[in-house]
Amino acid sequence: MSKGKSRSWSQRDRSIPRRPLLWLAAALLFTLPPMFASLATWIPCFFLATLAIKFWMEPKGYRLRLAPLKLILAAMALVVIFFSYGSLKGVEPGVSLLVVLMSLKILEAHTSREFQVIVTMGWVLCLCGFFLSQDFAIALCLLVAFTLQIAALVQFHRGSSPGAFWPPLGAACKLLAQAFPLVVLLFFLCPRISTGFRFDFRDALSAASGFSDRLSPGSIASLASSSDIAFRAEFPDSKTRPPGPMYWRGVVMWRCEGMEWRAPYTPASLAHSSSVGASSARRTEFARALPIQSRGGKAIRQRIALAPHGAHWMFALDRPFEAAPGATLANGNYLWSVQPIRKPRRYEIVSSLESTGKELQPRERKAALELPNSISPAVRELAESWTAQNSDPHVIVNNALQFFRTHGFRYSLSPGEYKKNDLDQFLFQRRVGFCEHYAASFATLMRLAGIPARVVAGYLGGEYNDLGRFFLVRQADTHAWCEVWLPDSGWTRVDPTSIVAPGRASLDLNSFLDRRIASGEMETRRSAFVTQLTRLAIFTNIRLAWETLNYQWDTRVLGFDADVQEALLGAAGIASSGPFFTIAEILIVVTALLIFYACWMQLRTRSRTDRVKGLYERFCRKLTRLGVRRDPWDGPSDFSSRAAQLLPNESKRIREISNTYITLRYSPESGTIAHDTFAKQVSAFAAHSC
Amino acid sequence: MTDHVDAFTKQICEIIVGKNQAVKLAVACLLARGHLLIEDIPGVGKTTLCQTLARSLALAFQRIQFTSDLLPADILGNSIFDQIKQHFVFHRGPLFSQVVLIDEVNRATAKTQSALLESMEEHHISIDGVTYELPEPFFVIATQNPQHQVGTFPLPESQLDRFLMRIELGVPDRASERAMLLGMDRREMLKELKPVFSPRTLLEIQDNVRKVHASAALLDYLQDLLDASRQRHSTGLSPRAGLALLHASQAWALMNGRDMVLPEDIQAVGVAVMAHRLGHDIEQPGQSGRALADNLLHSVPVP
Repeated sequence: MSKGKSRSWSQRDRSIPRRPLLWLAAALLFTLPPMFASLATWIPCFFLATLAIKFWMEPKGYRLRLAPLKLILAAMALVVIFFSYGSLKGVEPGVSLLVVLMSLKILEAHTSREFQVIVTMGWVLCLCGFFLSQDFAIALCLLVAFTLQIAALVQFHRGSSPGAFWPPLGAACKLLAQAFPLVVLLFFLCPRISTGFRFDFRDALSAASGFSDRLSPGSIASLASSSDIAFRAEFPDSKTRPPGPMYWRGVVMWRCEGMEWRAPYTPASLAHSSSVGASSARRTEFARALPIQSRGGKAIRQRIALAPHGAHWMFALDRPFEAAPGATLANGNYLWSVQPIRKPRRYEIVSSLESTGKELQPRERKAALELPNSISPAVRELAESWTAQNSDPHVIVNNALQFFRTHGFRYSLSPGEYKKNDLDQFLFQRRVGFCEHYAASFATLMRLAGIPARVVAGYLGGEYNDLGRFFLVRQADTHAWCEVWLPDSGWTRVDPTSIVAPGRASLDLNSFLDRRIASGEMETRRSAFVTQLTRLAIFTNIRLAWETLNYQWDTRVLGFDADVQEALLGAAGIASSGPFFTIAEILIVVTALLIFYACWMQLRTRSRTDRVKGLYERFCRKLTRLGVRRDPWDGPSDFSSRAAQLLPNESKRIREISNTYITLRYSPESGTIAHDTFAKQVSAFAAHSC
Repeated sequence: MTDHVDAFTKQICEIIVGKNQAVKLAVACLLARGHLLIEDIPGVGKTTLCQTLARSLALAFQRIQFTSDLLPADILGNSIFDQIKQHFVFHRGPLFSQVVLIDEVNRATAKTQSALLESMEEHHISIDGVTYELPEPFFVIATQNPQHQVGTFPLPESQLDRFLMRIELGVPDRASERAMLLGMDRREMLKELKPVFSPRTLLEIQDNVRKVHASAALLDYLQDLLDASRQRHSTGLSPRAGLALLHASQAWALMNGRDMVLPEDIQAVGVAVMAHRLGHDIEQPGQSGRALADNLLHSVPVP
């Protein structure tokens, strides 16, 4: 018996109790999702494996003991991480290294001190999770992880004694709830400093995000299954979605290479004086340059939250007529960000749904008619057959559309591969394509027919969220269409895809495909069950609510950057002149708040008796002035007798005051006498005698 | 309630002349359910005080003279084989009484002292595996000779702590002594003494003592005293001493007709309660416990 007891005593510092370990493991599981999303898969797997092994090792008393073995494992981890990423620099390798080293630490840990080290590292892991992703879902996950880690610590300090399982979690939640006001305060006040060091978070992502300056066959079709968010847009001026198809203009491509089109690497700016910040000057210039407003065209204001993509594209409804801050309006009326967009960006933009009636400059006309030499004679012949019939551009455009309509062209996500010179193969043989094939071939044909034409790439449609009143545009909605120059209406949008696939223009791609699948026109992409399930109304509603939440998270929480903060603080009267002044000001404010809080707590804890004591001390000071000094150890009753004896004239008052004091301070009925009575007695005593 | 106690005190003071303060302390000790230690030279009226207390309350009284050859069985009782009934019969010792006077407690050996002090604390006696409850109220008054006298076994600190108070009677002043010399024989007076109230009333009063209100401010003062003693002396006051101080001052407050304890009450009983608990400070060998306690009371401020 005694042996068992001493063993359990010595074990207290030899092993980590099971329950805190369970809580901690649960917490660490919740730090995994961002890792699975962004790190090499073996790293979170390794982490999971270590946790499992730890649970097997702990009861047996096994642990990682040998120092050389630890060193070898750490070195191996370094090497493997280097080969996984090709570098040790950057966020992902850094976080990976931390995760692997933490896994080893978990295997090694066996004392209570080391347990606390693991918990601390767990908090660092939570932080790293935010480096990897700032999604709302991830934030929720990490919040759960954070709570569970506090629960682990609480459980740890309560000891391993069995008891109810849930109180530590309750305590953790309570702690977090108490910290919440401070979190809110820090959220608003903690300075967002974006200068100094910078992580290139999105370098790896820019390749994955769909858009590029080159429209080659298959480049858009490859995005059709991507559910990544491109941007979200809301219309602050209207409560409903604007009517008609939503063409989101991204980039205009001028250079034709048959089936492949290209945008200029750095676009020529439409307004030569356009620079960041000079928006009012630009506005008047555009008002002159674009007669659209004078014609009473319908302007639509949009607020767009763009996901980072690493390139310069910015999107707006077809077509924007002034540049957003930090962007220029490029030749072809599309937005071009001066800096690559590496972090989420929000901007407001006004678009007009009507085309411009601007004159075509000779230089532009030349660029819009340029053709490669590699066009085959058959294609040239086709175009020339239309010009021979009628030279009116409208008729030519209609003829071309008629051609696509009547010659058995099919719309398909998997049209097979085309080379950039395969124009005649597409037009005359296979006749299967996605939007980029139609846009590219149509524009090329137009140029062949002598009509200035260009290809516009952007997004079509998007899903309107009734709950949050915003459009969610995904990479899958990437689209390409044409613009032709017609003498009476200027650049006019022609979407040949809508001829081949009517209905696409009014829906986002997924809904369109779902509808086609439902009507049997296309092969299914998903299992029937999943399709059925996703079509249920309740799931749609949940999804819409979730997307709204995400949008609010992105715009309200993540979007609270230095600029918004500065505006807010400015509105609150805290003017800022540089980040360091802001820090200083915020420090002063926070210190003042803390002092205020401390004073308040002090005041609250000061009990009623302290006032009584203060009054009594005042009474004693008055008596001292009269020549009767109270020693600190004198009791009130003794002192009053002594004072009454020494000051016979005042004896009645002295006894009265002392009795009141004794009642207030020592009696069980202290509540029956008002403090004010006592205060009055003491004051009256002073007035009378001094 | 206070009238009862007043009458009781007055009756004792008629017999023990000129020792009002000591008598009041002794009564407070009784009311606070504590045991009393009287330290003084022989012949100053210790035994008379005890007898007066016992008779005024109509309580059973026993006196035990401690000597160096006294054994625990002599005071607790022992089992004797009954020839007729053929089994052991427990014969209760003199401790089975309500007021017990232990004369010269420091003359007995440590073994007997321990037996006595255990029963004082526990209010029961265990012999041969049988536990015998002591009667209620149970009040022990022990007397001891000053330590320097020959043939004494000083009580260890742990056992001194069991006594709520230690008082000294001292020789009476000249006038009181004259009154005593002129007056009736004390033994005669004792025989004529009538009980002031019943044991049941005593128990009620003892219950009421615990109900006397001690406010937060007063407890602050009490704890300040305890803290100060612990900081200044190597053997500070124990938590039991703190309780003793509280109960004694509650009794004192009740005797003075109050329903609340004042710092003055603590100061009044302070020396009697604290002196024997502080008297063993090895760092201040010259100081008597009385002086140390007095010092505490005159330096810790009343909050």
